Amino acid sequence: MVSRAAAAIRTRPRREREAEVLVWPDLVFIEFISALIFSIALMVLSAMVNAPLLNRADPDTTPNPSKAPWYFLNLQELLLHMEPAWAGVIVPTIALVLLAAIPYWDRDTDGQGVWFGTKFAGRLTVFGFTAATLITSLLIIWDGSLHVVWTENVIRGLGLNSDFAWPGGLDWFRNLRGFDTGIPWDSLGFTIGGFTMFEDWRAIPLGIPGTTTDPWLLNLNFPSFLSQQIIPVATMVGLPVLFVLFCKMLGWIHTRRDIALLIFSAFIGVYLTTTIVGTAFRGQGQDLKPPWDIVVLEE
Amino acid sequence: MANLERAPRKSINDLIYDLIFKNYVWQSIFRTGYPNTPRNQMLAVATNVFLHLHPTRIHRTHVKITHTYCLGGLSFFMFLGLTVTGVLLMFYYVPSVERAYQDIQALEANVRFGQLLRNMHRWMAHAMIILVLLHMMRVFYTGAYKPPREFNWVVGVVLFILTLLLSFTGYLLPWDQLAFWAITVGTTMVGSAPVLGDESKFLLLGGFSVGPNALIRFYTLHVIGLPLVISIFMAVHFWRVRRDGGLARPL
Repeated sequence: MVSRAAAAIRTRPRREREAEVLVWPDLVFIEFISALIFSIALMVLSAMVNAPLLNRADPDTTPNPSKAPWYFLNLQELLLHMEPAWAGVIVPTIALVLLAAIPYWDRDTDGQGVWFGTKFAGRLTVFGFTAATLITSLLIIWDGSLHVVWTENVIRGLGLNSDFAWPGGLDWFRNLRGFDTGIPWDSLGFTIGGFTMFEDWRAIPLGIPGTTTDPWLLNLNFPSFLSQQIIPVATMVGLPVLFVLFCKMLGWIHTRRDIALLIFSAFIGVYLTTTIVGTAFRGQGQDLKPPWDIVVLEE
Repeated sequence: MANLERAPRKSINDLIYDLIFKNYVWQSIFRTGYPNTPRNQMLAVATNVFLHLHPTRIHRTHVKITHTYCLGGLSFFMFLGLTVTGVLLMFYYVPSVERAYQDIQALEANVRFGQLLRNMHRWMAHAMIILVLLHMMRVFYTGAYKPPREFNWVVGVVLFILTLLLSFTGYLLPWDQLAFWAITVGTTMVGSAPVLGDESKFLLLGGFSVGPNALIRFYTLHVIGLPLVISIFMAVHFWRVRRDGGLARPL
C-alpha cells in the first residue's frame, strides 16, 4: 500500500499522444450507436408492453398487498423486519452517507481505472455478493417462519409424527417477533436496590433508591425494543464486520480498497435480494409467497 | 511529385461536396468544415456546444465498450428522452384529481401514439434507474471514485437520489390505484422518521394524506423542480469528469 504522502506527490506521466484517439469519430460513433440501440429497444418494448393503469384512485379501497414503487421495495422489505424509523429513514440515510463517504475513506490512488484492481478483488466481490444474498434470503425465510412450516411438513410428511407442531419451548425461534412474545419475560424479574427490576420487562421503573416516591415507569417495552431494534441493528452492523474478519482470516484483505469491494458487493447483494423479495415474493398481508400465487385483493 | 502546373479536374463528388459543405450558409452554422481531417474532427468537437462536453482526444482504452459500457452516457440519454416524452405528455395531462385519471385514459384511447408515448416515458424511467445503478457499480468496480474524483462520486450519489425522487414523484401522476397506494406507502415511510417525520410528510403531501395538494406538489416537483435541480447537478458532474482528468486510468 502506497503511503498517503507518496500518493500525493505522485503525478500522472506525460500525456501519451500516440495512445490517444480522436473523440470524433471514435467516441461519438459509439455513443451514437448505443443511443440508437437503446432507442430501438425501448421503442420495441413500448410497442409490446403497456404501462400499467389500474382503476381510478380510491382512498376507501386498499389493495392488499399495497406496495411502494419497485425501487423502494427494498426499504418496504426492511420495514417488515424492524422498527419503521430504522427501515424507512435511518438505514437508507446511513447507507447513502456511507456510500458517499467511500472515496474519503479509501484514498489510495492505486488500482483505479481498471476493473477489480486488487489481487483478490474477484474473490471478494463474488464472496461478498453471494454470501450476502444467501444470508439475507435465509434471514427473510426465518423471519417469515418458513422454517417452522417446512419442519412441520417434513416431520408430518415422513410419518414420524402426524400431529407434530413446532414445540412451544422454541416459540422464541419462530421469527424475530418470537423474541418478543416467545420468551417468558415476566418470570425473569430480579431485584436491584430494593426495586423489582423489569417487573414485566415492558416498563422499567426509574426512581431514586431509598426514597418513598413511586418510581417513574420508563415505557421502554424492552422485549419489543430487543426484537425490533437491537437484533436488526446488531445484525446489520455485525454481519459486515464478520465478513471483513472472515476475509481477513483467509488473507484476501490487504487494503481499504479490499474492504470496500467486499462490503459494496455485499450491499449490492442485499439490495438486490430485498428488492426482488419485496417485488415478487410478497403477497397478501406481506406474507412470503411464490410469485405465481400472488393476487392483489381490493378491500 | 504532385503536378503543380495544373489543378486536377474536380469530380462530380467534389462538386457536390463543395456545394453542400462549402457554401455560405453551412459555414455560418458549422464553422469548421466537414470533419474529415484530424484538424476538422477536433474542431467539430471543440466548437460544438453539445459535443464540447467531450475532450477532443481521449485515451485509447476509454473507447473500449467493456471499460464503461456507456452506462453514464446512456443514463443521460434516458434523461433527455424522458424530457422529450415528458413535455409531450404535459400537453395532454392536467394535474387535478378530477381530470388526471381520465386524461391518461384519453391519452391512451384518443391520442395518436398516446399509449406508445406513455409507455416510452415509463419504461425509460425504469431504465434510467437501472442504468444509474449499473453506472455506479461500474465506477465503483473500476476504482474510478478514487482521488482526485472523490467529490464527483458524491455528486453521483446525489444524482442517484434525485433520479429516485424524480421517478417517485412521477409515479403518483396517473392517479390510479397503483399510483395512489404506492405513494401512500412511500410517504408513510417518510413519516416514520424519528425527527421531523410527520412534518416532512406533511410538507411533501400538503396535508395528512394523499390528495389534491399532494398531486399538484408531486406534479410541480416532477416537471420543473427536480429536473432543474438534477440538471444543475448533472452539469457539475460532467464538468468535474473533465476537470478531474477525464476517465480514471491507472497511474
